[in-house]
Amino acid sequence: MEVPRRPRPSSCMLALQQAAAKDPRSSALREENDHDEGDPFGEETFGGDEELDGSLDGSVETSELAGMNATLSSRGSCSEESSTSAEEEAAEAKKKREEEEAAAKERAAQRQMLAIEELVHSERNYLRLLRLSSGTIRNNLQKLQPPPADLDSVFLDIEDVIDVSSRLLGLLDQKLVQPGDPRFLETLCESFLGLSSDIEAAYKEYLANYNQVTVVENSYKQKEALWNDVVRVIKTSAPEVNATSLSFFLVMPVQRIARYPLLLQTIQKHTEKTHPAYALLERTAHTSIALNYRINEYKRFREVADKYKKTETLTIKDKIYRLNTHSIAKKTARFGQHIRHETGMAPKLVDEEFDALEGFFYVLEHGILELLENVETYLYHLQGFLSCRTEEFDLDMDGEKAPICYKEITTALRQWILPTFEKRMRTLIRKPLGALRDLLVGPRNLIRKRLDKLLDYELIEAKSNLSYEEQDVANTYRTMNTLLLNELPQFTGVALQMIWSVLGTFSCLHRDLAADMEQLFQSFAQQLPHSSMERGAFREWAESAVLEGARRLETLCRSVEHTLNGPVVQPLSPSSRRRLKQLTDKHGSGKIYQVVGSVVGSRDLDLNLARGELVAIISEADTRGDKRRWLVDAGGPRGYAPSSKLIRYHQPTEDPPPSPQLTLPDGVTETRRHSYTPESQPMTVMSQPCFQVLAAYDFTATGNHEVSVRAGEPVRVLEPRDKRGNPEWSLVEARGGARGYVPSNYLAIAPRPPHH
Amino acid sequence: MSWIPFKIGQPKKQIVSKTVERDFEREYDKLQKLEDQTKKLHKDMKKSTEADLAMSKAAVKISADLLSNPLCEQDQAFLDSMTALDTAMRRMDSFNQEKVNQIQKTVIDPLKKYSGVFPSLNMAVKRREQALQDYKRLQSKAEKYEEKEKTGPVMVKLHQAREELRPVREDFEAKNKQLLDEMPKFYYSRIDYFQPSFEALIRAQVVYFTEMYNIFSELTDQIDQAGLTDEQRERETEAKLSELRALSIVADD
Repeated sequence: MEVPRRPRPSSCMLALQQAAAKDPRSSALREENDHDEGDPFGEETFGGDEELDGSLDGSVETSELAGMNATLSSRGSCSEESSTSAEEEAAEAKKKREEEEAAAKERAAQRQMLAIEELVHSERNYLRLLRLSSGTIRNNLQKLQPPPADLDSVFLDIEDVIDVSSRLLGLLDQKLVQPGDPRFLETLCESFLGLSSDIEAAYKEYLANYNQVTVVENSYKQKEALWNDVVRVIKTSAPEVNATSLSFFLVMPVQRIARYPLLLQTIQKHTEKTHPAYALLERTAHTSIALNYRINEYKRFREVADKYKKTETLTIKDKIYRLNTHSIAKKTARFGQHIRHETGMAPKLVDEEFDALEGFFYVLEHGILELLENVETYLYHLQGFLSCRTEEFDLDMDGEKAPICYKEITTALRQWILPTFEKRMRTLIRKPLGALRDLLVGPRNLIRKRLDKLLDYELIEAKSNLSYEEQDVANTYRTMNTLLLNELPQFTGVALQMIWSVLGTFSCLHRDLAADMEQLFQSFAQQLPHSSMERGAFREWAESAVLEGARRLETLCRSVEHTLNGPVVQPLSPSSRRRLKQLTDKHGSGKIYQVVGSVVGSRDLDLNLARGELVAIISEADTRGDKRRWLVDAGGPRGYAPSSKLIRYHQPTEDPPPSPQLTLPDGVTETRRHSYTPESQPMTVMSQPCFQVLAAYDFTATGNHEVSVRAGEPVRVLEPRDKRGNPEWSLVEARGGARGYVPSNYLAIAPRPPHH
Repeated sequence: MSWIPFKIGQPKKQIVSKTVERDFEREYDKLQKLEDQTKKLHKDMKKSTEADLAMSKAAVKISADLLSNPLCEQDQAFLDSMTALDTAMRRMDSFNQEKVNQIQKTVIDPLKKYSGVFPSLNMAVKRREQALQDYKRLQSKAEKYEEKEKTGPVMVKLHQAREELRPVREDFEAKNKQLLDEMPKFYYSRIDYFQPSFEALIRAQVVYFTEMYNIFSELTDQIDQAGLTDEQRERETEAKLSELRALSIVADD
């Protein structure tokens, strides 16, 4: 992480870290400087920096360093202790970074090892369950009376899969390398690659025949008694596994072969490119995808070959071949109109048959061009879909079923199922259509030429005596005309047949795509918690779960905002302090509010306020009584501000509070003043041994009854109230024995220093 | 105020221990990574569904354009085939739309909502940092007075510095604690939050592909030549193209 987004601890620290990072020499230089300085900077020795400048060479680093040192000391942030601790901190920061990098590497290595172990461990478990099903379960099923039909066909291909899996594990065990060892990865990849053709052979057959397994199992399910027996056998043979059907076990190879790519890619993700086995790993991952690709192709090949060996319905094929464009064309004279509009010329000799054929040709041409364009658009979007690899997220949820299943499904979809579909689309649809389009050129040109010749021919046709050139023209026209008349129907007929079969293929490709996905989904059906729910029920569950999640999120958000984005607690700047005093004097401290977030006024009389600004409330509603809009005094300008952005401001005791009026003994009613906010403590003036009372501010007596005191002066409180009982004045004895009244809120309690 | 000649930086005593700071950073790093990944997934899912919709629309256009071409009308069998194709495409498109709507509701919208929490969180972390800075500064200031000779004015100033410090320290501590509490909780909440989304995503696709299989099995039986492998198809196509090329009108002289 080179550029951290979060705030850096302290800019002083950052400057030092940068200095440390720049050059080890500069830290050496700094050490030198400290040595030279002798008495390093403190508050008193600002001038010491000039010595620095003089003692160093005019190198960029040193001037930077000097500049930096100057800045540092002008900020005064490095006192004598912190200049040495600054280096320590810089060195420490560097060490910390190195430690963190090492820790990150360690974590990646951990993850890689976990991923490798996952692959091996899951393979062992897989093998164990396969063996269990083909051994114990099968034997027990055979013992049933009567034994289930076609049982052997169900377990036909599993032996090869078991064999290849045990050989893979065997190779790993043989080498006696531990998963922690870097050579383990190499061994793993080599074993996999070495066995890849056998893996392909075994899984190819298994997947091609898997449909048969489902068919047989369904037949068992039809007979209730038999099915109950089967389930019982399964449960007793494998009590620790939560299986309720044969397909639970038998679908595993389907799932396993599709899982290798994701497992290998996960290992790859956590492996450094510099790892010795990286290239090998990459090759293995690619191989696992190619395996799936070819296994799928084979499956389809077998499907077609098996299923349709006994095909009877050739009616569609017949229909395609019976397509007779010649007869079609004859029916439609309106195509003739079509040409006339297009060429803008009206030949005198109207050959209806030809016109119709020609018209049909143009319609065909248009159809082919449009179809090709639409197919290209389709493929373009397909590529767009393939390029957004939604399986590549990492929300650190690899332990959860649902995200992992999604990743596996999407990996399969994007990495071989859809690519297969795309490849077939291009080969069987796009390419033929392109070739067909290219062949349109010839006839089109010839038709145009014929028209030219026809016009020429018309001119000479009526003549009885033709010159050689004229005869030539006549012959050319007639030849062309005849040729086109004969061959155009053939052309359009074959072209139509091609289009029809291309569309049939298009439908077939979609069916195959859906079949591939269905088979993939089967292997996940058991794993997801709500997969047995009906469509409608599931949708309801999902939507309500999502709403619930949103609600919880909102609660969390609100709590974060509420607690953490509260009012800014900051000591005030001088200008803010002035504003505070001004507003407090005018309106009283109970009316002081602080702006929580910046306000931009939208209406007349609305104020623009900055965050943290202090204002006084004049009215808690506007002229229309809207309580969300308060009239405030912003230290001069007055206007409206939203009440949601204002929060009570509690003042720490910083300013000398306004002094209360001294009440004269002849009955002038005192005015009560708000000298403190409710939060601050009234001064309890007690003479406790460990505390003393001081005057916090200068106070100048304005009458005979008062006494002047200086800020910081210790006083002795004689009476915490005046003659009338007003606690706002205290009778004190000041230095020198002078006695008199001072405002109580000018007094402060402080711990008595030890030497008193 | 005359007793503050310049800003003070580092306080003497360590305010936040190194381990706590490291823990804080680690939790925050995890959250930042989570933020990046949720944003990425959201973006990818949006793009993916857009492409998906476009693909489906393109498929509908294929059949619709053909059907509207006069070509079709000329032969009943051909017309029936094209009509069946068109119907199939439209049905697929409507299932696709349904699928996309489901995904939008149960996956894309929740992803976006989840991402929406991060700005507040980031802001809260910033505020904590600001509070820490203020705390450090005022702490230093107070420490300065603690070290000076305890004269009257000094005591008063010390007292006031401490008064100033208190709310700031409390503020920081509250923010710090809250974040140290909330960050891991929020990180953990992702599991329960996203679980339904992934399940719904898978389920939506299962439904869609099941429909696709049904619709296109039927259609393929109706309009496709049965029992052809890919190689056979290619050979047939090539045969037809050769037939065309053999025509004299095709060779462009």
